[in-house]
This record gives sequence, structure tokens and C-alpha cells, in this order.
Amino acid sequence: MLETLLPILIFSALALAALGASRRVRLWRQGRPSSVPILKGLAAMPRRYLVDLHHVVGRDKVMSNTHVATAGGFVAAAVLMILVHGLGLGSSESMGPILGGLLLAASAAMFVGSRFVARRRRNPPARLSRGPWMRLPRSLMAFSGGVFLATLPTLGLLPDDFGSGVLALMLAAVVVWGLGEMVFGMTWGGPMKHAFAGALHLAFHRRPERFSSKQGGRRSTGLKALDLDDETAPLGVGTPSDFTWNQLLGFDACVQCGRCEAVCPAFAAGQPLNPKKLIQDMVVGLSGGSDASYTGSPHPGKPVGEHYGTPYGPIVGLAGQALVDAETLWSCTTCRACVEECPMMIEHVDAIVDMRRHLTLERGQTPNKGAGVLDNLIATDNPGGFDPGSRLHWAADLNLPLMADVKQAEVLLWLGDGAFDMRNQRTLRALVKVLRVAEVEFAVLGTEERDSGDVARRLGDEATFQRLARRNIATLSKYRFQRIVTCDPHSFHVLGNEYGELAEPGIPAQYEVRHHSTFIAELYDAGRLAFAPWKGGRVTYHDPCYLGRYNGEYEAPRRVLKALGIELKEMERSGFRSRCCGGGGGAPITDIPGERRIPDMRMNDVKESGAGLVAVGCPQCTAMLEGVVDASAEVRDIAELVADALVEPPSVNATGSPREPVVKATAEEVL
Amino acid sequence: MQPEQQGLEVAVLVSVGRHPITGRARRAEQDARGVELALTLASELPGTRINVLHAGQQDINSEVALRGYLGMGLNSLTLLEQPEGSDAIAALAAYLTKALPPLVLTGTRAECGEGSGLLPYALAERLGWPLVNGLAAVETIENGVVTLLQALPRGQRRRLKVRLPAIVSVDEAGPVARQSAFGPARRAKFIVTSAIHEPDRELTQWHLAPARKRPKRLKIVKAASARDRFKAAASKAGGKSGQVLSDVTPEQGAVAILKLLEEEDVLR
Amino acid sequence: MSEIRRRDPRREWIARNRLHPEHASVLAALDGIEGGGATSEWLGPSGVIRKNPRAVGFIGPSGIKRIDRSGLQSGSQPTVSAMAVSGDSRRAVNIAEPAFLVAVVPDLIGGRLSAHDKDMLGLARRLADVDVGRPGAVVAILFCEHKEEALGEVGIDKVLHFNEAIYAGFAPEVRLAALTTVERELAPRYWLFPDSPLGGADLGRRLALRLNERPATGVWQIEADNEALLGWRCTARGAAGSLDIQRPLPRFVLALAECAEPVDETRHAAERLSIAGVTPTTLSRIEDLGQVAVDPAGVALAEAEFILSGGNGVKNWDAFHHAAKVLGATEGASRVAVDDGFMTRDRQVGATGTWVTARVYLAVGISGAIQHLQGIQRCDKVVAINLDPGCDMIKRADLAVIGDSAEILAALVGMVEQRRGGQRDAA
Repeated sequence: MLETLLPILIFSALALAALGASRRVRLWRQGRPSSVPILKGLAAMPRRYLVDLHHVVGRDKVMSNTHVATAGGFVAAAVLMILVHGLGLGSSESMGPILGGLLLAASAAMFVGSRFVARRRRNPPARLSRGPWMRLPRSLMAFSGGVFLATLPTLGLLPDDFGSGVLALMLAAVVVWGLGEMVFGMTWGGPMKHAFAGALHLAFHRRPERFSSKQGGRRSTGLKALDLDDETAPLGVGTPSDFTWNQLLGFDACVQCGRCEAVCPAFAAGQPLNPKKLIQDMVVGLSGGSDASYTGSPHPGKPVGEHYGTPYGPIVGLAGQALVDAETLWSCTTCRACVEECPMMIEHVDAIVDMRRHLTLERGQTPNKGAGVLDNLIATDNPGGFDPGSRLHWAADLNLPLMADVKQAEVLLWLGDGAFDMRNQRTLRALVKVLRVAEVEFAVLGTEERDSGDVARRLGDEATFQRLARRNIATLSKYRFQRIVTCDPHSFHVLGNEYGELAEPGIPAQYEVRHHSTFIAELYDAGRLAFAPWKGGRVTYHDPCYLGRYNGEYEAPRRVLKALGIELKEMERSGFRSRCCGGGGGAPITDIPGERRIPDMRMNDVKESGAGLVAVGCPQCTAMLEGVVDASAEVRDIAELVADALVEPPSVNATGSPREPVVKATAEEVL
Repeated sequence: MQPEQQGLEVAVLVSVGRHPITGRARRAEQDARGVELALTLASELPGTRINVLHAGQQDINSEVALRGYLGMGLNSLTLLEQPEGSDAIAALAAYLTKALPPLVLTGTRAECGEGSGLLPYALAERLGWPLVNGLAAVETIENGVVTLLQALPRGQRRRLKVRLPAIVSVDEAGPVARQSAFGPARRAKFIVTSAIHEPDRELTQWHLAPARKRPKRLKIVKAASARDRFKAAASKAGGKSGQVLSDVTPEQGAVAILKLLEEEDVLR
Repeated sequence: MSEIRRRDPRREWIARNRLHPEHASVLAALDGIEGGGATSEWLGPSGVIRKNPRAVGFIGPSGIKRIDRSGLQSGSQPTVSAMAVSGDSRRAVNIAEPAFLVAVVPDLIGGRLSAHDKDMLGLARRLADVDVGRPGAVVAILFCEHKEEALGEVGIDKVLHFNEAIYAGFAPEVRLAALTTVERELAPRYWLFPDSPLGGADLGRRLALRLNERPATGVWQIEADNEALLGWRCTARGAAGSLDIQRPLPRFVLALAECAEPVDETRHAAERLSIAGVTPTTLSRIEDLGQVAVDPAGVALAEAEFILSGGNGVKNWDAFHHAAKVLGATEGASRVAVDDGFMTRDRQVGATGTWVTARVYLAVGISGAIQHLQGIQRCDKVVAINLDPGCDMIKRADLAVIGDSAEILAALVGMVEQRRGGQRDAA
């Protein structure tokens, strides 16, 4: 009986799955077009899955192995099942035993894997979703166990008449369960949807450059520009269907593992944002309905079941609630921790900025001080509304060379808007001192410099960003320099990664940009700086998001600190897992209330590391962390630490030619 | 609010503003508040039509500024086109006489040109309409009478009833203008009509220069003897660095503070 | 003591002559007059003159004892009498036959001449007194009750007082009617208004345009200019304060505060004047329904002129709010107080909050982070109450009181309430 039943079951499940798949594809196709190389993407998919995805998943070894066993077992078992039971190859003389044996092995592996899945579900952490996900391990076991048992008679390991009678019916029921979850549910919206959507998401990812290739992968973190010249193109995303289809596909790929939720600073601070829920909200919007069936943690302070949406309805309600509340979108600090952690490589930050663009550009609803900051950027080229002519007032006594005078320099020192902030001026002075001691030939743009556009862009005002960026590009194109050095990672990121897209014919916008820590590290390595030994206490280092996760620079600041003779006490969350200071993405401007403050949590991390001083490399981080009341640690920028420790490089006295690459011994002596 | 008159028309007069620091063209602060008031009124009184009027030249600068108003959520703006240096009063008066909107909102004074703040008064005089300045909020419009709140210094308010048609001017006490959004600003249309050209001849004869810093008034002490003058001068110089009272009772501290508050005359 | 100091040359001579037998007694008598108690100079037993430096001198303005060797050894006493003398010496001026009239319409806020009004009157005097031989008269046109007693001392020659109830409140139409009558009857050469919102700025523009004249607004300086029609040239602020416009002074002048020095050297007649033909129109299209109660806490921070700002050191927020109410101050807060949820975000003062321009900024328990100090740069007077004498706010403050903020605030509230109570009784 099983022999006749199984093919029917398998093929009807496959047929239903195909139907579901076409429905799902139609749902995704509601999104706007996006040109993605289809065939090339599909061809690259296995590598993206096996290499890039598993690189992320592999951060949790147990889970990684579980997934390899379960998913690998399932894929093999499914293919073999179709061959053995569906096409009846199991009864062929030559192939039967081999295929059947492989099928047994695959389903056994899957069964073992699903045991581990079950074990994790016994006491699941809060970040995991419940509901249908709780039955997944049982479904996995039903499928693998059912297939395993149903294959035994085919191989003659059980008597053939086992395939009839009550037992067989029960087995068939188990197989139906398994098939239903694994094949039917895959395209009709069960937990296994992640496999189907995820595979296609990897193939048609909107940032193909994120994935490693044989030439090696590179980071892709810059936001994508809106085409403002096309008056018919939507400005940002107002309804789910305003996303591109592959973005919608990406949301659908979410496996609700909650890793994003676990690392999200806004969620931890009790602000109404849970990146996982946000992605699920988009899935709700994609198919239409209410979020009542969501079973994970909600956006803090926002009960589940009150929001609803449709593919063509507004995401943020014009009056009252819709799919998502605006505060949820404005809580994000764009720290990219969620994107970094997401095993499905979903681009949360892109989606959030897309939706913010709609709120700002179409509705004019940038909350709190947002509107004022944008007005200031438009009128004065800086977010504080300061007189642009006073950008260099802090350096009145420093006699900084101006690009307008010198026309060319080795290094263009990009000051950033910190030039207007009294605290950051100390950092800038320190940096200038370091550059002078190292005899770097540098110049500044002075009053020609404008805000890089970072804040405007993260607040969704793409128009202001592009205006600022184009003017900066035009200014930069007037001068010749080898590289830009800045102590502001936000400017660093925007200049280095986001201006390129705005280049116009004849005016390239590709710059070699260095964060000051990188540049100081280079100067030190070249022997142009020498430091007095460190006499202070314990020090820890806070990785700025826009330097670390956005630009992958984790090493240089640590190298500089090591050169200063500092032995770092790393915080628990450092490097690519560093927790945001709360200052990015315009979050201090939009200022969405939460239960805690993000910088307070970060200073607590500092306290737990036992350090009395936290070294930073970003004016935002400095401002946010210094703003913590009753902090246990002092906040100093790396440039300040370096400037304080400077001693005359011995080479100057010895040889009189400081530019010569100096003996490593000098450096070691200092150490 | 009871919508007594369906389809009330509100005309808002807007000018090209000027940022106080950089001098860039922008929507003028007070005029934008006027538009904000009109938009609030329209949302409360269904059927209200807002007609935004500007008399002046059409160029890149004015376009940037005027689109700033449109980005607040308006579909169009009526531009009475005149060459630079024309008197806007004549053009606006001519237009308003024809259009006869019951309520005209305007900023108190312009951020460019003479900025004398005479325009609302001149229009009121020419049209023979009542004028109220310092509008803070419109409460009701019933039977051709508008009840509104006028802003007094230090955040105080006065309730006024004004018979329509009327001109009401808005200053910094008006509600803060909403954000101007790029999308609506880009889509909105200009309805351009040419207007009377009456050059402001008087203005051209005046000498205009960037504002000088006004000298700070010295505390002139009329004293009988040189000694007294010296004493007064010395006590002024002594006030430069702050006075710190430590180890005083709370009452002594409070007396010192009270004395300063009274000197500054902020207690009322 | 008599106001007039009579000199007794003989006694002075004795006082100078240490060998005179009456020297000591005369000296003691003189000291008594001068107000000093103890003898500061006497002949010692060995015949050497002795001086007691503690008995001479006075406490200077900075709290340090000063000894004046000019002979006029004194403290505050002679100054008072000198002032009184100079007060008496103010020249009384009575312009019986004025060559022309300068009309001034002061704001009379709360029934009193504001500083701005007095500056206007000073300006009016300059215009009136241009030709010493043929001076003009300053006519002050006052509406409603006022509490000023010495109108002559601010340079007013003639007073025209419209005291009827219809002029009260916001009544631009009736006031305008009265002023047009004045124009018709008296035809002043100049009309002067303070360019203050809701006061002269409104009325002045109405009148000028009713009479079809183009006024000069925002005037802050006038200079004599023979080429100009009226003999004066003025400098006026234009374009939201970003331009200086130089033009001949017209008949109608709306001037800013500090446009001229107030009158203080002459005393004028302030003679009452009345004119006929004022027929107040009863038909008004603007009806004043009176003032509306407004919560002072609702005043925008950037506009407030007196801010009571609380920070981390404030423990009793109810008392703080009460204090703000009693003092009539707008509430502000430091970032910390906002973060901790004691105040709303729109109350935050500082570079990251609101930049305030208050005349008096009373900072309670705020240590003064750089961003906060940046935000209060433009405040005139900063008063700090803090427990920590070393904090940056104390360094910035014009007056700092070290102590428990709750107690000091409570004491201050008590005093203000007492003062208010007393005033109300008097009124």
C-alpha cells in the first residue's frame, strides 16, 4: 500500500508546493522591479549558502552543526525520496540498494539534527519565536523518521507486507505530516518557508557584492542612492509594494532566529524596535493581514495584534496605526549589528532607511529635532545651524594650511561637524598636533567643507544628502591630495562608500579615506611617531559602528593603543559585536524614548570590563559616552591619547631626516 | 469647531525669506507660520481652501523659498509676477480686491528688502478691512466672525472677535511651521499671473548696508563729583567675574538671588 | 543734617593747626559732623601726631576699605547729599510758545512708562530741542489709566490723556480715531512710536498708513542732516535686522529701544491738554474678549526671558515646579533631567536641546556640561544654585549660591510670595 501511496503523496505535495511557490513569487513580484542577474545569481547561490551564510551561522558551532545535519540531511533526503519513492527507482535492481541506503543515511542524519533542534526548543531563549516554530522539531523528526521507516521495506530490511495494514497507515500519516511541513509548508508559509525564500534571497540578494567570490569578498555597507531626477520614482518606501521585489523576498527569508533582536541596542534599551518583528511586519504587509499570528518578542511597549497592513496600504499610518509605528523606524541607530548577525543576510538598515525616506521626503514627518536639523543642513551646511564661516574658529591659533591656498597636499584633513563642538575640538587639536609632529603635509578645506550628509541621509532626507554630497564632491575635485584623513567615522563612511555612486562624468568621487586611527597606525609603523610609555590605568576600546561594522577597521585602533603601551581590556561586546553608543543614524536627534539609554548600557559594559578609561574614535561616541552621568570611566579619543603620549621621535635627533622609515627597534624600545 | 461656512477661503501671503546667518533664500519664518495656521484650519474646517500668494520675481532663489512653503502640503501657489524692486502692495491689493478671500493671513514683516512690516497695514488700509496682529491661534469661524487668540508678550494670550473679511498677521508667537517635505514641494505647481509693476522709487534712494552692530548702551552715571563717577565705574568693572556665595544660609542666598531678579526686573 | 554745608574757616584752621589749644576738641566736633565716631588723629603724649587708620576711610564698592586722602573723607553720606543737590538742580523747562509739536505715543505697559518709552521721549526731546531759541514741545498721548506721577521728568511738555474705557485693551480702531483727531487738531511735526510688537509698532503703522505717510520703522539712530527735508537723517534696521537703512527722517518714526538717551537733566511742565472733536467710533469690527489664562510652563523656551532650569541636583521636582510657578519663570532642564524623565525633551536647554536667550537663567543643581553652557551663551545673567563649588556652572554664573538647592529655592519662593502679598495689599 505504501508503495502506491508514497508517490501519490510525494507528487501531490510537490504539486501543491509548486502552486504555493508561484503564489509566493507573485507576492514578491508586487515589489518594484530590480535588475538582478537571475542566472548568475542562481549559479552563485550554493557558494553563497555554503560559504557566506555558514560563516555567519558558524559563529554558533552547535547550531551550525545542527543546521548542517538537518538541512543537509533534508535536501539529500528529499531528492533521494523523490527518486526512490516517487519515481520508484528504489525497486530497480541496480540503483535501489544504493539510493535506498543513501536515503536511509540522509534521513538518519536529519533525524539526529532534528533531535538537536528539539533540544534547543526545550527551553528556548526569548529571542526565538514560538508558535509554529515549536512544532518544527517534531515535524522534522516526523519527516526524517517517516521517510526512514518507509524506506526500510523498500530495501528489504523490513518485510514487504509491512507496507500494508494499520501500521502502514500510521506511517503514511507521519509521512504526510512530514511532507506537509517540509514541502507544502515551505511555500505556503510554514517555518520551512525560510529554506525556499532564503535560497532565492541568497541568489537574488540586492547587494551581491557582499558575498565572497574567488577574488575575495568585500564589504557593502553604503546606502543606495535614490534617483531624484526621475520625478515618477517613489521617494522611499511608503507601502510594502514600494520595496523592490528582492527586498520583499529577503524579508520572507527570515528564519526568526532573533539574533538581530539579541544584538539590537534599541531593543535592549526598551525603545519600540525589534528588528525581527520589523521584518515580520513587512512579511505581514507582503501578504496582507494582521500581525496577530506573530509569536516572538514584540516591539517593546507595542502589543502584538494591533497592527495590520496590506501590500498597497501605508506602512506607517497617516492617522492611527498601520503596519509599523513611526517610532519603531526612528529608534534605529543604523549600527548594523542586526545585519552583521543575520544568518539570512537580510538588510534591515536599508529597509529602515527606505521607509524613513518616505516619512521625510513625502510626509515631512521627521520627528523631534529632525526637521530643525534638516533645515539647518539646508541653510547652513551643518546640523547645528552654526555660521558656516565659523567652521575654523577653533583653530584660529593653529594656522592650519587651507586647501584653497596650497591647492594640493598629501593629506586632506576632513574635520567634520565636530569642528563646531567644543568637546570634539579638543580631539581635532590633538590630531593636528599628531600630524604636525609626524610632519605630515596636510591641509584642510576650512570653510569650504560642508557636512558630509551622513545625518541627512540616515534621517531619510536623500535630497539634502545628495545636495551636500555633490557640493563636497565639487569642492574636492578642485584640489589634489592623496588621501583624506578624518577623525569622524561617519564622514569616513560617507566619503569612502557613499559618494562614489554620485560621481558625475569627469568628476570622480572615489577617494582613499583613512580613519585617523588607521593613519596614526601607519605613521607609527613608519617610525614617524614615538610615544612615552603608558602610565595610566586600565583601558578598554569602544569600536564605533561606522568604523568597525561599516568599514571593517577593528585592527588599527588596537594597534595604536598597543603602540602606546596600553594593554586593552576588551569588553564582552567588542569588534564586530560592539554595542552601539546610541549616537548613529540620527537617533539622538529623533530621540525616541525607551526604558534605558543606549550610552548608559555601553558605559556599563565599560565598567564591567574594569577599565577606568575608554578609548574611542568617533565624535558621536565621545559625545554619547561622555554624556553618561556618574560614569565610572573617562572617555578619550585615540588622537588625544596619542597626542598626550608624544615624545620627540629619536630619529629626528639621530639622523635629522624624520621621513626615513625608521628602525623598528625604536618602536620596540618605547614598548 | 463648527463648520458654519463650508468652503471658507483663506489666502496666505508669503514672501521669500532669508536665513539670518547664511542669507540663503528660504521660506520666511513668520509666513511659514501663517501657512501652518491655514493648514491647521483646513484640517479642522473641511472644505477650507488655501490660496498661497506671492508677489515677486520668479528665479532660482525665490523658487527654492516658495517650494519650501509648498512642501508643507500645498498643491499650488499663485505667483503674481513682478520684476525685482516692485512694490508688492499694489499687486496684492489688486489681486485681493478681485478674489475677496474672507481671511488673509500674512507674516508680520519680511526678511528681505525694507522689511518694515507695513504690508499688512497697507493692505488693510487699501481694502478697508480690519487688521489684527500677533495671531497665535484661530479658535472658531462662525457667521462671518472669527474668534482668535492674539499673542501678548511672555506667552500671554488675548481673545479677540473680528468681523470678516479681515487681515491677520502672524509673528513668532504663531505655531511652529511643519516640516517642508521634498516630494510635495517638487510636485506642486506655480500658477503664474503677471501683476502691476509699480517700482518702489523711494527705496532705491535710500542707502542700504549690512547691519552694523549696535553700540551697547553705557551705564552713564550722572554724578556730581569725579569721585562718584569713578566709584560707579569701578563697581561696574567689579561685576565682571561672578560672585560666589558659599557658607551662607539659604535665606541669605535667596536674598541675593531675589536682589538680582529684581534688578533685572523679571519678577512680575 | 542740613543740606547746605557751611564752612567755618576758623574751625578749619584750628583743625589744621595741631598746636592750637582747641585742636583736639574742634577735630572731634568735625568728625562728628563727618559721621565718623572715634577720633582718627590726635596729639600723642610725646607731642607726635597719632593717626588711627581704622577710624578713617570707607568701604569701597568691592568690599575693600579705601582711605581717601583728598580731604573729603567720607563714605556714602556725602554722595547722597550730592545726589539730592543735583536732583534739585534739574533745570525746570516750560515751553509756553512751542514752535512745533512732537507727538509721542508711549506703550505704557502696565500703566508705566517702559524703558523703551523713555528712550522715545529722549528722542522726541532731541527733535524738539534742535533749535534752542525756538524749541518744540513734546506732546505725550496717553491712553487709559497710568501710574506715572512725574511725567515732566521724562521730558513731556504737554499731556493728552484719553482716559475713557473704550480705549482699554486691544482697541486699535478707536485709538486710531483719537490719533487722527489729534493730527487734525494739533498737526504735530513728528509722530513718534516705540517699535514694540503689540504696542507702538501696531498703532504707529496704522496711523501712518491712515494718513498716507510712509513711516521709518526700526529706527535706532538719528543724525542731523541739512540736506534732508526735516533736517534729520535716520538709520533704521531692515530685513529682519540684517540691514541698516539710511534715509531722511520722515514725519512718522517707529524707533527701537535705546534709540536715544532718556531725559534726566531737565524737568518739564507736563501740562494737561485737551482737544475737542474726539468722537470715538463705537462701531468696531474688532472686539476684545479679554486675556486668557496661560500656563507659564507652556511658553517656548527660546522666547522665555526668565528660565528656571533644573538638573541632576534637583531632588524635589514638585517643589521645583512650584517655584517656577511662583517666580513666573519658564521651566528648563539639563539633559540629564530630561533623560531621567523628570522633564520633557522640549524643555532641554543646551547645544543638543534649545539655545536659550533668557535675560536671567537660574540654574538649579546643574553642574554645567559643555553642551549646556553652549546653550546658555546668550543669556545675560546666569544664577547658579549648586552644592559643588567647583563645577563649571559656578564659574559661568554671575551669581552663585553654594548650598542645598531645595532650601534656597524654598526660601526664595517664600520671599517672592511675601513680596507679592505685600504688593497686592498696597494695590
